[in-house]
Amino acid sequence: MSDSAIQIADLTVNYGRKVAVDQVSLSVTRGAVYALVGRNGAGKSSLVRCLLGQQKPGDGKVTLFDEDVWSRRSELMQRVGVVSEDADAPPEMSVAAIARFCARLYRKWDQESVEERLRMFGVPLSSRFGSLSKGQRKQVSLALALANTPELLVLDDPTLGLDVVARKSLFEEVIGDLADRGTTVFITTHDLIGVETFADRVGMIENGKLVLDEEVDALKSRFRRIRFATDPAALDTTVMRPTVMRAWGGGAEAIVSNYDDIAFEQMRSTSSIGAAEVQAMSLEEIFIAIAGGNNGRNE
Amino acid sequence: MRNALVIAAREFEEKRFVAYAAIAFAVLPFVILNLIPMSKGKSPGEAIVILAVILSSGFTVGLGVITGATFIGDVSAGRMSFYFSRPVGSLSIWFGKLTAGIVLIVGCFGIIAAPARFIGNSWASVWDITFAQLSVAVLGAAVALFLIAHVIGTFVRSRSPLIAADFVAAVVCGAVIWLLSLPLALGLAANLVKWLLIPLAIALTIAIVAGGAWQLERGRTDRRRGHLALSHFLWGAMAVALLLAAGFVWWVVSVKPADITDAVVSHSPGTAFMTIAGKTSNRGDYVAAWLMNIDDGRSIRIDAQSARGAVQYTRDGRSALWPVLVGNVAELRLYTVGDAAPIDTGLTVWGDFIFPSDDGGRIATVNQGILSIYDVATRRSFASTRIPQTKFARGLFVTPDLFRIYLQIDSELRIFELDVRTRALRETGVISSPKYAFLSLEPTAARMVVRVAQSNVVTLNDARTGTVIRTLLTGSRASVSRCLRDGRIVVIETQPGGTVMHLFAPDGSPVRDIALGPSAPAWFAGDDGTHVVLLTAMSGTRNLVSIDVNRGVVERREPNVGQWTQGGFYELRPAIGPLREVVYQDMQKHVMAWNPTTGASRRIVGG
Repeated sequence: MSDSAIQIADLTVNYGRKVAVDQVSLSVTRGAVYALVGRNGAGKSSLVRCLLGQQKPGDGKVTLFDEDVWSRRSELMQRVGVVSEDADAPPEMSVAAIARFCARLYRKWDQESVEERLRMFGVPLSSRFGSLSKGQRKQVSLALALANTPELLVLDDPTLGLDVVARKSLFEEVIGDLADRGTTVFITTHDLIGVETFADRVGMIENGKLVLDEEVDALKSRFRRIRFATDPAALDTTVMRPTVMRAWGGGAEAIVSNYDDIAFEQMRSTSSIGAAEVQAMSLEEIFIAIAGGNNGRNE
Repeated sequence: MRNALVIAAREFEEKRFVAYAAIAFAVLPFVILNLIPMSKGKSPGEAIVILAVILSSGFTVGLGVITGATFIGDVSAGRMSFYFSRPVGSLSIWFGKLTAGIVLIVGCFGIIAAPARFIGNSWASVWDITFAQLSVAVLGAAVALFLIAHVIGTFVRSRSPLIAADFVAAVVCGAVIWLLSLPLALGLAANLVKWLLIPLAIALTIAIVAGGAWQLERGRTDRRRGHLALSHFLWGAMAVALLLAAGFVWWVVSVKPADITDAVVSHSPGTAFMTIAGKTSNRGDYVAAWLMNIDDGRSIRIDAQSARGAVQYTRDGRSALWPVLVGNVAELRLYTVGDAAPIDTGLTVWGDFIFPSDDGGRIATVNQGILSIYDVATRRSFASTRIPQTKFARGLFVTPDLFRIYLQIDSELRIFELDVRTRALRETGVISSPKYAFLSLEPTAARMVVRVAQSNVVTLNDARTGTVIRTLLTGSRASVSRCLRDGRIVVIETQPGGTVMHLFAPDGSPVRDIALGPSAPAWFAGDDGTHVVLLTAMSGTRNLVSIDVNRGVVERREPNVGQWTQGGFYELRPAIGPLREVVYQDMQKHVMAWNPTTGASRRIVGG
């Protein structure tokens, strides 16, 4: 048995001639929280559908807990909780009826936890699913996804439609708690601030390609924003690789993707860089820098 | 299985309002009866039965379409992630939804139709079919529409160009089914057509049901992949079913004359041909027919319809003419001894009288009062003219350029001649004939024996003008009156004291009477001028007898005769060639040929 909860190898998804996911490989260790970020249409949802065995990839393989998800989907879903991008329970059913229905499909089902979470979210059990707001539907989906005590929780853009309080609750109380209990979490999101505190690893998908797949700490440690008081003509780009370089005030701003304290100090002491301010970056800033850099390259 | 039931229950619960609507529809007939007063003499029970049947049928069929498009519509639309993110297999999802849909359809029909069955108590007085038959028809239609709606929904919702291939496949399937049914229909096999179509309908149903499961297993939430999976499965299964059906049809139609179990044979005296038709072993009601040359045993397959008296033989015995149905018309084929294959005469006929010339070189047709003469070799129409319309027409080529026709119109037999060269039609004579007149012309077509049905009078007449030359018999109970090849005439009369053959000279003067034994029906089977062959039926047994008319004795007898096979009762003139073997069926139903000269019998078909 490997240490991976998720193994994706050379995953490719095509829609006709359009390549939605292009030879993506990634691995998520058990108990880790993996955040997959990407812009709309980048291929996240296709990847999630393949991850859940809902869509057969054109090429490549996806395994969950070392089992092929396409052929073993039904059994594997006993161990997986899913919150899909569009909350898709039948709109005519009441929340209680949906919970009753789901309870009959799982070997393990904690009805009390469902009711407790829904109480916490303020969603009445008697409400028709179709009458709930988008955020409430997500909350119901989340409550249902957690009721079978999943080993893997897959959240496809779970904060879409949630207000600030609900978003904070989701990240800090639910996912944080799950992470603490050793549940593997795979989350696709735009909300990088939210996942920054608990994501162990982050992947970035752009035009179907996985352009980034790294531990969050390592990623954050190698990205820095450096602001130069004057034009940093002497910046050795062979040592500090700038992802973005632009004018800033009277000087310039560079975002480097391979920052190293010692190397930078050495460079500063031996060259005419002058005054420079080095700032750490948030995940969101790094995402924007990478996405912008890729766009720049594409252009 | 358990999960399928869980899903079925959920789907049913979701659509329970449809069942409530059905209950409302069930109550509706009673409400209507209370609101609208009944006419005097009308039974409220009958009104309930009628309303309940109309409402239940309409509701159920409509529900089938709507349910097919919506109940399992989310399968075709790919809205299935709610199920697929749960631990349930594709089969459970599909059969759960399918079960719920069918239960809903059947349940709603039962609810609405119940008053008609149990409360109205007037079913039999209103409908010709039973409640069970109606249920099968309505539910069958609703479930079929339910499944078809799913298939069409899948094809349309995928927005895939593959739908063009599906359309082509559906058209091809329809065409193949039609092409497979056609030979069976032409073989008059209504039951076999039914037994071909029912399994194909079952195969289609199974293909859609299993294809839906395959669609979900392979496509899951991917609409296009689901469409592809359903198309592959559906058309693949139908291809296999149609191949099996084609094999079955090929086996059915590849019968040989020896496979006929209950032959109907028609042989014209003096010709080498017979038609043989009948049901064939292990092939249900399929009827096959052949034109067979009894001299060399060669056979040509002909339409089963053609065997029913539609084959015409030429007087010289060398050719046969029959129609081949093509759509609503028939193309006339001609086969002549020695030819490799029949030829298409180029004539298209429908409901026509057809009269070939002695050698088959020309053909006369009568259709809706138009008499036409065709030349077979050149496929040209030589003449065409209007004649009085009648249901009974008999004609002959006196010479290749002179066609004579006898038309039974009301109480007259009117005689016309058409000169092919001048295209002039002349009415040459008329005979008073209150009933159908049996005619038999001597070989030159100058004179004829006329026996008007139920008139008890047999006369010798001028064949062209109809003028009576001589009265042969009066007050008789004649059953046969024929001219022989040498012009002499025989009339067979069944009298209480026995059956008698009267022989007359060509001018009508009596020659001799020949006693044939106890009173029994008799039929003319042929002659060679000296011998007359008759079939007689005495005390339940049938015999072929050969009578030497010169000596006045029964020379030979073939006693083992079962079914009578002789055709050509209405041939106007004796055959040209020598008297051939006479074809009959023996008591064991073998098709036999009897030589009246030698008395030898041989088996042609059967056994």
